[in-house]
Formats: sequence, C-alpha cells, structure tokens
Amino acid sequence: MSNILAISDVHVAFGGLKAIDGCTFEVEKGTITALIGPNGAGKSTMVGSIAGAVSLTSGSITFDGQEISHLPTYRRAQGGLIRTYQISREFGGMTVLENLLVVRLGQSGESLINAVFRPKKSKTETNALVGEANEILNTFGLYRLRNEYASNLSGGQKRLLELSRAVMAKPKMLLLDEPMAGVTPALIEILGQHLLDLNKGSGMSMLLVEHNLEVVDKICSRVVVMATGKRLAEGTLAELRSNRDVVEAYLGGEVHERIGS
Amino acid sequence: MSIFLGYVATILVTLFTYNIFTLGLNIQFGYAGILNFTVITFMAMGAYFYAVFVMPPANASNQVFYILGLHWPWPLASIAGIVASGILGYLIGLIALKRLRSDYLAIVTLATGTLLYGLSGDQNKLFDGWAGLFSVNQPFQSVANNHPNTFSWIFVVISGVVMLIVWWFANQLYSSPLGRSMRAIREDQDVVDAFGKNTFKVRMMAMVIGSTIVGIGGVLTIQYIGALSPAGWTTGETFVVWAALLVGGRGNNIGAMLGSLLVAVIFNEGTRYIPQVASSPNLVPDLRNIIIGSLVILSIWFRPQGVLPERKAKFFELPLKDKYAQTFGGVSANQELATEV
Ligand SMILES: Nc1ncnc2c1ncn2[C@@H]1O[C@H](COP(=O)(O)OP(=O)(O)OP(=O)(O)O)[C@@H](O)[C@H]1O
Ligand SMILES: [Mg+2]
Repeated sequence: MSNILAISDVHVAFGGLKAIDGCTFEVEKGTITALIGPNGAGKSTMVGSIAGAVSLTSGSITFDGQEISHLPTYRRAQGGLIRTYQISREFGGMTVLENLLVVRLGQSGESLINAVFRPKKSKTETNALVGEANEILNTFGLYRLRNEYASNLSGGQKRLLELSRAVMAKPKMLLLDEPMAGVTPALIEILGQHLLDLNKGSGMSMLLVEHNLEVVDKICSRVVVMATGKRLAEGTLAELRSNRDVVEAYLGGEVHERIGS
Repeated sequence: MSIFLGYVATILVTLFTYNIFTLGLNIQFGYAGILNFTVITFMAMGAYFYAVFVMPPANASNQVFYILGLHWPWPLASIAGIVASGILGYLIGLIALKRLRSDYLAIVTLATGTLLYGLSGDQNKLFDGWAGLFSVNQPFQSVANNHPNTFSWIFVVISGVVMLIVWWFANQLYSSPLGRSMRAIREDQDVVDAFGKNTFKVRMMAMVIGSTIVGIGGVLTIQYIGALSPAGWTTGETFVVWAALLVGGRGNNIGAMLGSLLVAVIFNEGTRYIPQVASSPNLVPDLRNIIIGSLVILSIWFRPQGVLPERKAKFFELPLKDKYAQTFGGVSANQELATEV
C-alpha cells in the first residue's frame, strides 16, 4: 500500500489566476488512478506540474519516495515519470517509428564518440529497439504506418502515437492527459484494454485524466475529482456517484445521463 | 592555360569550403533547429585565430597590429583556429541556448556576430582592424610562393579531403541516436525534455560541433588566400550560407552541398562575370544579392524542403512475431479513417 506519487498542498498560479489552489492527493503504486473534473478544473496543469513543465507556487510533489518539485523536467523523466499531452505533440518531421526510437533513454549512440566512431554497436542496439517499437506500434494499431511521417497521421492516429511513444519510454508511471479524446468508441475499448494489460503486466502506475466515465469505470480502481483547482473528492466511481458535491459540481446533468443514476 | 587551371582550382576550393560551411550550419539548423544567424563569424574566428597563432609577433613599425603572434607551425595553428571557433560556439551557446527559444536565439546570434564584427574592425589591436590580416603564413609556403598553381591544386586536394571527412562525420552523426535526438529537439524541444533528455546539452553539442566545422572552413579559407579583413565576412556572407542550405535542402547533407554548388559557386561566383558598369560600381554585387535572394524566395515558395529534401529514415526490420499484426493494423487504421470522415 505504498504511494508512488504524493501531491501535497500544491498551488500553481498563472499571474492572478489560481489554476491549482491547494490540491492534495496520492496515487498508489501499481494502480490506475483517474483524475476527473470539469473543464478548467486544473487537471492538465496538475499533469504539467508533476512532469515539470509548470512550476509550483508552493507545495510539494513526491515521486517514488523522492521530492521532485525542484527537479528539472528531464530529470523527472529519467526517474521514470513520463507524460502525454492533451493536444498531441508528435515529432512531425520524423517517421512514426523514429518517434518511438528517439525516446528510449540510455542508448549508447547518444554519446558523440559512440555515435561517430562506434556506429556498429549503436546499430545493433537500434535494430533491437526497432523490433520492440514495432511490437508496440502493432499493439496500438500503427504498425502499418510506421514509416509514415508523423505529421501525416490523422488526429486519432496521433493520439495513438502519443500513447505508443510514452509506452516505449518504459516508465514507472504514466501521466495520461485525455489519451482517448478524438478516438473512435471501438478503439477506446481496445486502448483501455491495452492500458489495463500494461498495468497488470508490468505493474506500471498511471494517472489518467479522462472525461469518458465508462473508461474510468472500466480501468481505474480509484478516482480523484478536481474542481476549481482543489481536490473535491476521492474514492471509487461508485462511491462518487452518491457524493452530492461531486454530482453537483462536476457530474451534473451530463453524468446522470452517462452513468444512468 | 595556367591562369585557367589556377582559376578552376580556386573555384573548387571555394566549393569545398562552402560545402564545409553549409554542412556545419546543417548540423545546427537542419538537425537541431538552431537558428545561427552569424555563421560567418565562426569562419572568421577560425581564420583569425589560425593567423595569430601562425604569424610571427606583430611588427609595430609596419603599422600592423594583432594579438599573440606565436609563430606556431601551421598544423598546430590550424587546430588552434578550429578550437577557437568551437569555444566561441560554446560561449554563444551559453548565452543563447540556456533559456532562449529559437527566435530569440536567432537575435542573440545576430547581435553577438555584429558585436564581434564591430569589435574586430574598430579595435585594431586585435586583428589589425578594418585593414585585416595579410601575408598570413600558408602551409607549404615555398610552393605557394614559387609555384602558385601547384599550391592551388595541392589545396584542392587538402580541402577536398577535409570536406569529405566532415561529410562523413556529419552523416555518422545524422543516423545515430544522438542525431535523432537533435532532430526531435528541432521538432519539439519540450517533448524531448519531457522524455528525459538534457536538451540543453544536446543543443549545445550541435552548436559547438557546427561552429567547429565552420571554423575548419575558415582556417582553410585563410590558408588558401593568405589574408582576411572584415569586408570578407559581412552579414551578406552568412546569408549566402543560409541560402545554400535552404535551397539545397536542410537536413540533407548532400542537399547542403548541392546548395553550396548552386548558390555559393554558380550564382555567387557566376555573377562576377557580369561586365562592370563604371558609373555604378555597386551594380554587380547588388545584382548578386537580388539573384540569390530571389532564388531563396522561389525555392521556399515552390520547394520549401529544398532541392533535395531530408530523407526518410529506414531501418532494418524483422517481421513481427504476432501473426495477426497486419490484420489488426488494418482494422484499427480503417476505424481511424472512419473517425476522420
Ligand atoms: N499557461 C497558462 N497560462 C495561463 N492560464 C492557464 C495556463 N494553463 C492553464 N491556464 C488556466 O488554468 C486553468 C486550468 O486549466 P487546465 O488546462 O489545467 O484545465 P483542465 O482541467 O485540464 O481542463 P480541460 O478538461 O478543459 O482540459 C484554466 O482556467 C486555464 O485557463
Ligand atoms: Mg486539460
């Protein structure tokens, strides 16, 4: 029952706007925890603060037992914390396959000497990575498009690439910012299953920002609700359904329809 | 005949040194997306530092002033010149790469370049001011003095070999994981950062490698000509290198070299044959800029990737283990298409 991520009294302000206003919650190791809330609740800002793209006004973030809020972004990622973006940010001028190859850390050919004078060694490594990347692309339905420039993918395909790339980085924990947005319902089902498999198979922890409550219901064991920059409630989705505050502040009419309660 | 041979040699040396400049800029801009708007400053620093390391101490009675004057042998002085331009690249990188995004970075490079240009012109104790350095010791000095054509052709070989080595190096870098990181940074630096790479370090590498390579071209230039003054490295020269890379194809080393053939040699040198008009001496240089400028505009308009666009990376692949691979790929892809409609 240990936590992989602990958010403690985090504040983030953009000028006068308090995007996160004293938020505290935890993610248990090896779980998929959902982060839900109305538009503008501060969910993406939270993902950004955890990953290091947004700096905190105050508060602390502990990942895997280490205080990380003062670390630069790349050091957090090196520690195994990888995020995806709500709006896809593919490397457009590179192929789908290259998008995956580039994110794996610790390749020997990343040092200049090896890159130039020991290309054999790095080529062998790359060949192995290509195999791994193709398996992942296959899982996410992008194998056929592996040699296409990422900029040529459709919106939905870019979402898939965003996910595949994050998986290729072999994180300890994934921060997923609405990975299913813009993806067809049939594929959402498949993606949900893949996330679940990843979680069960390698014990990868995830924080999943998601508006689709069916997905949340299916794959998340716990749900954190944010509203106006604060943690409003926490529990299983079933518990939250009967929470008046949650229903009023977020779920509202929309959710009555969706969960049919 | 001998004049013609000497001329051909000069054209070839020009081509090879410009190839080196564009290859250096390609690593900075074509690979890593760094907008270095003062390429030619690195050429000048390579050249000047070669000169002040190779020349004897300045002789004040000739009214020629410069720093150092160490009278080193030319191979060592060459290294000094190359290292100096690499160090300058590092220093500008420290100012420009730490916090700044591409457009601000461009302005910082432009500003530093202008500053160094003014400084080396106005401060005549550095590199003899606007007069510049001349009678700079050349490699194989006695051949250069007695058989200029032989010297020229020796130099064709030297600069050709150096150019090939640089080209080889640039290709090795391009296809390596380091080169891939550079290109990913060019596409989206924040994302590369979020995947755990020290993007500052990688960009700095591209900056220093590129500057060093341009410096190599600078050393070759002054070794061949034996002189350099600020008039030889104006902002217009940076523009020629940029034009060569953009027309030829950024991200493609062959394209970079083709571009320097088209822009730096055919258009830049070719316009020297337009007859001078005595009443307007600036006509030809102006025409040259107009022609190169139009070439850049046309190529960006009609062929934005350049004559030879960046090539798609291909990898050695084994078939997938999963025999349903193709089917599933097909199915989901169709579903995706359906979403788009
Ligand atoms: N870079 C920024 N500068 C200024 N304000 C910002 C910035 N990023 C977010 N905000 C503001 O912070 C608040 C929270 O935004 P955030 O994107 O975190 O919401 P969200 O919960 O992810 O919403 P959605 O469900 O629509 O994605 C919003 O009011 C938004 O306008
Ligand atoms: Mg959001």
